[in-house]
Amino acid sequence: MEHTNRDGQPVAIITDIQRYTIHDGPGIRTEFFFKGCPLSCPWCSNPETVRPYPEIGVYPTKCMGKQKCGWCLKECPLGNDSPIAFDSDDNLLPVIMRDECKGCYKCVDACPGGGLKLWGKSYTMDEMLKLANQDRSFYERTGGGVTVSGGDVMMQWEFAADFLRECHEQLHINTCMETEVLCPQEHLDAVLAHTDLAIFDIKHIDSAAHRKLCGVPNERILENIAHAAKIGTRIVIRTPVVPGYNDSEENIRGIASFIRDSIGGSLVQWQLLMFRKLGVEKLDSLGREYQMSDYEPPSSEDRQAQLEKLRDMVSSEYGIEVAVGSDGKLPL
Amino acid sequence: MSQVIDEVKKNSKAPLPIEPYDKEWGVGISGMTPDPSPFPRINRILEKTERTTNGFVSADRAELVTKAYKDHPGESQEVKCAYGIKYVLEQTPLFIYDDELIVGGLGCDKKGAPVHPEFGLNWVLDEMRDGLMGYSEERTHDYFTFTEDTQKRLEALRDFWDGHTVNDMVQTLVNDDVLKGSHDGKGVFFSDAYIYCGAGHLGLDYERLFKLGFGGIRKLIQDQMAKIDLSDPEQMKRNNFYRAALIANEGSINHIKRYAKMLAEKAATTEDPVRKGELEQMAANCDWISENPPRTFWEALQLVHLANCMILIECSGHSISYGCFDRYMYPYYKHDIETGTATREQMQELIENFYIKIWDLNKLRSHISVRTFGNGGIGGPCMTVGGLDENGHDMTNDLTYMVLDAHAHVRVPNPWLAVRVSDETPYELKIKTANTIRMGTGEPKIFNDDVTIPSMLTSNVKLEDARNYQVCGCVEPDVSGKTDGWHDAGHMNMAKVLELAINDGRCLHCGPSCQRWEKCGKLGKRLGPQTGDLAKMTSFDEVLDSFDKQMHYWCDQMVTLLNAVDMAHQAIRPLPFLSTIMDGCIERGVDVTKGGTDYNFTGPQGIGLGTTGDGLSTIKQLVFDEKKVTGRELLDAVEDNWIGHEPLYMLVNSDKVHHYGNDDDYADDLTKFAMDEYCRYIEHRPNAHGGFFQPGMYTVTVNVAHGNLQWASVDGRTAFEPVSDCMGAVHTHCCSHDVNGPLAICKSVTKMDHARATNGTLLNWKFSPSAVSGEAGRDAFIALCEEYVKRKGMHSQFNIVSQDTLKKAQADPATYKDLLVRVAGYSAYFVELHKDLQDDIIGRTELEL
Repeated sequence: MEHTNRDGQPVAIITDIQRYTIHDGPGIRTEFFFKGCPLSCPWCSNPETVRPYPEIGVYPTKCMGKQKCGWCLKECPLGNDSPIAFDSDDNLLPVIMRDECKGCYKCVDACPGGGLKLWGKSYTMDEMLKLANQDRSFYERTGGGVTVSGGDVMMQWEFAADFLRECHEQLHINTCMETEVLCPQEHLDAVLAHTDLAIFDIKHIDSAAHRKLCGVPNERILENIAHAAKIGTRIVIRTPVVPGYNDSEENIRGIASFIRDSIGGSLVQWQLLMFRKLGVEKLDSLGREYQMSDYEPPSSEDRQAQLEKLRDMVSSEYGIEVAVGSDGKLPL
Repeated sequence: MSQVIDEVKKNSKAPLPIEPYDKEWGVGISGMTPDPSPFPRINRILEKTERTTNGFVSADRAELVTKAYKDHPGESQEVKCAYGIKYVLEQTPLFIYDDELIVGGLGCDKKGAPVHPEFGLNWVLDEMRDGLMGYSEERTHDYFTFTEDTQKRLEALRDFWDGHTVNDMVQTLVNDDVLKGSHDGKGVFFSDAYIYCGAGHLGLDYERLFKLGFGGIRKLIQDQMAKIDLSDPEQMKRNNFYRAALIANEGSINHIKRYAKMLAEKAATTEDPVRKGELEQMAANCDWISENPPRTFWEALQLVHLANCMILIECSGHSISYGCFDRYMYPYYKHDIETGTATREQMQELIENFYIKIWDLNKLRSHISVRTFGNGGIGGPCMTVGGLDENGHDMTNDLTYMVLDAHAHVRVPNPWLAVRVSDETPYELKIKTANTIRMGTGEPKIFNDDVTIPSMLTSNVKLEDARNYQVCGCVEPDVSGKTDGWHDAGHMNMAKVLELAINDGRCLHCGPSCQRWEKCGKLGKRLGPQTGDLAKMTSFDEVLDSFDKQMHYWCDQMVTLLNAVDMAHQAIRPLPFLSTIMDGCIERGVDVTKGGTDYNFTGPQGIGLGTTGDGLSTIKQLVFDEKKVTGRELLDAVEDNWIGHEPLYMLVNSDKVHHYGNDDDYADDLTKFAMDEYCRYIEHRPNAHGGFFQPGMYTVTVNVAHGNLQWASVDGRTAFEPVSDCMGAVHTHCCSHDVNGPLAICKSVTKMDHARATNGTLLNWKFSPSAVSGEAGRDAFIALCEEYVKRKGMHSQFNIVSQDTLKKAQADPATYKDLLVRVAGYSAYFVELHKDLQDDIIGRTELEL
């Protein structure tokens, strides 16, 4: 999907830009979170990145209410038809009728206290490159660079391909991409052309199970990963291990076989990530519900022990470079 | 000794060395384990060591000094003071403890604090009488017990000292214009640091002391005296100085000999042959170093400790520092290793014992001062390691690492540690430093040679001296043994200056509740000069102009008061003992308080840099650039403490306003303006002891005290909240103003000209443990520090403990009594701090990934 601004310039829709990221690629990195994702994993910890267009997040605890403030209503061009409503005059609970909002976001600009927040801001290529460049002295010191992720950055693949190319050719910055990689192969090729390290997720090796979990089958994903490996991409594979969902030894062995057979020497590391219940607050702000709200995972000590056991199993049976978590140094 | 290590490895569940070059043990071996030291002796001593600065009052020193003064009524002040220190050193009780290898104290038992009536006895007696010295709701930590006998003995001295203190003289030297904005008035600035105690804030020239020994110093004084021609009045003054110096010198020699005698007696009655041997050796060490240059590492270390203790006994000054320890001790370390006199492990054990000895010392403070300087102990005993030598080469050696290991092994708040870094610092030392910091105790701090050395050159310090700088106390770089720096002599709340600048010299909360109302507001007067009212200003330049005029005015007042304090010290409390060991005093025949040593500065700090910068930025953006509010509306909101102006309060605190600390030039440039304004009116002004003023840019903890006195401010601060700390960004009750992470902070802060703050700068970082975890986290952390250094940031300190842990500790102090955290300039047991200060530390932005 390609986005443009009012001047017709291509833009990226970005939910967040994190400086000093150290776990998504080597060294100190600046990470751009692109909006839009084709998967629907129930444990998603960045739900604000799922839908491909900007969304307003509502944080009632930071709202001072209509009587004390009401600055959002004053700025809304729809006047009396404003989709912003309060339960009653002194109630502090703002609600947005999302279907009626025309998306000018003036209310967000007017809000003084963070009661309204815009998820998904537009950035032109020049703005993105300026942001990418501002911490380059830190990249140079640590072998870092930029990471594009999301959501799924492939949802905005044209912009991403151009951006990574410019990072390489104009700025000479190391690039890294994290993607769900559910996309046509030629899109992937366009982005990989300027990607120094790719981070791919494999959540389940069985396609039917994958579909049940994430809403889509996994054939295309696995084909794309195998293709990326074949053309020599350096690859980190990540598997979020969610007890009761995808933590069976069978599934882990299946992923391991795939990695051994289809990625082989292109693998830099396979990371088993611990499940954490995050994203609830963000979903709340978007007026949506967390799908796993009733789910109680085992204790973090037990989860850690499980990951270590799986790691030991895989490394002894398959001889694959596998790590628990993402805070170790990536092997060169 | 390697048996000890094997034993530790066998028994310890703690992780073993974590870096390849840590051959015997790494800091990882300690972490937060019980019995943190590899040496059973040290763990035994630690078991008996109090993790608190609560103590007791000792009357001996006060009595002995008083007696000395009474015995010599006709003598000059210098000679009276010399007899004072001599009496104390020769007669105060001495203590020797089991297991310990080093002796020395303050003339009272562990955790006891002597009284220095020269700087005021009334406050001590009043606090005893009013229940403010011991434990009470007013004083829940850093409290001092005392016996009835102590109180009676001290009370008997009251009349002798009444009216003869530094404070009494200061009051006669200045007028109300100077005092009205001071600690005695509205607290625009404080100059009270050295009114109630000595100036301290210096280190010794240990190499000179090692070369001469106290016997050599005696000879130096005698040689100078022999050349005196008494018919020359100038030389007659010098002669009197030498008389005083000789008396003090004799006292110091006799003091060490007393220890030698006592140790020998103890050895004679000790049955355990091992301990007997140790005591005999310690007796021999003391006997030798009482007059002669030390020959071994053990003797040298013993001399260092005794010399510093004697300085503390003479004068209650803060931040008596330990110089560049790994430089002056290294020749002894090398000698002992090469001759087989001692092993590395034996010397490590001595250093660890030495640390605990320092922590056992204590200092009496008022109930007010412990609120903002909690858990300080003697305060400021900083030890510096690493960095460039006088030829510009990196001098890192084994001792550099051992000093850091020792901290990991004993984990007591004193001594404070500073690691000097430069482009030449070996990566191994950076890892060792990062790992020590990651333990979370807040030690060590990092000082940047590449800024500090050039900065010192601008204060006319010689290059070879500058390259040997130590970090004195919390923040201040100086040349140990050659500098009477009066660091931290005062501080100015720049945020209060801004308040007066936008309100025509009037306080924003002017009213009958003010202690000065009758003399000031009621009569239609203002605290400061009339320099403009934001409600009437038509351009932002007028704001800057008004700020400039107020700053000039208030700097004049502070400088005046500090010079008065300086003069009072010279008249009332010369330091003859210190003068014998500071470079140049004997050669010049001039007491150190009168400018006898080589470099003489006075260093007051600017407070509330971020608060001031954000205030200027808010005014510029909202009133003049975007015209979202008028100047009147903004002033009204602040006068109303933001009540009824909530949306504006939220806006001012939001990221929609340009704020310092986000790598945003709009706010950063204005913050730099504020800092430059302060420096401009302080730097190079003459002081009263023959040198000049040096500005600093750090708060330690007085941002809490200044905030407590100030009404709300335009940056979104509510009344009485702390102003921003050190070089850091603003955090208000509403939120933190820095929202772009550590790289942005690094860049914002280094847009300031650190070298201009020749009395030092400080940035406090707070990381969550996860942000620096793993090898990736460690190396990113090192890279961040390297970049801060490259960008010419002067000094950083780190807190690596989660907000969650701090809150738990606040709620459950018993469980967290050992939690050592970085305050600012120093580390302290968190639960021993006043709640205001705890809240301030909790509120600092935690940098997360």
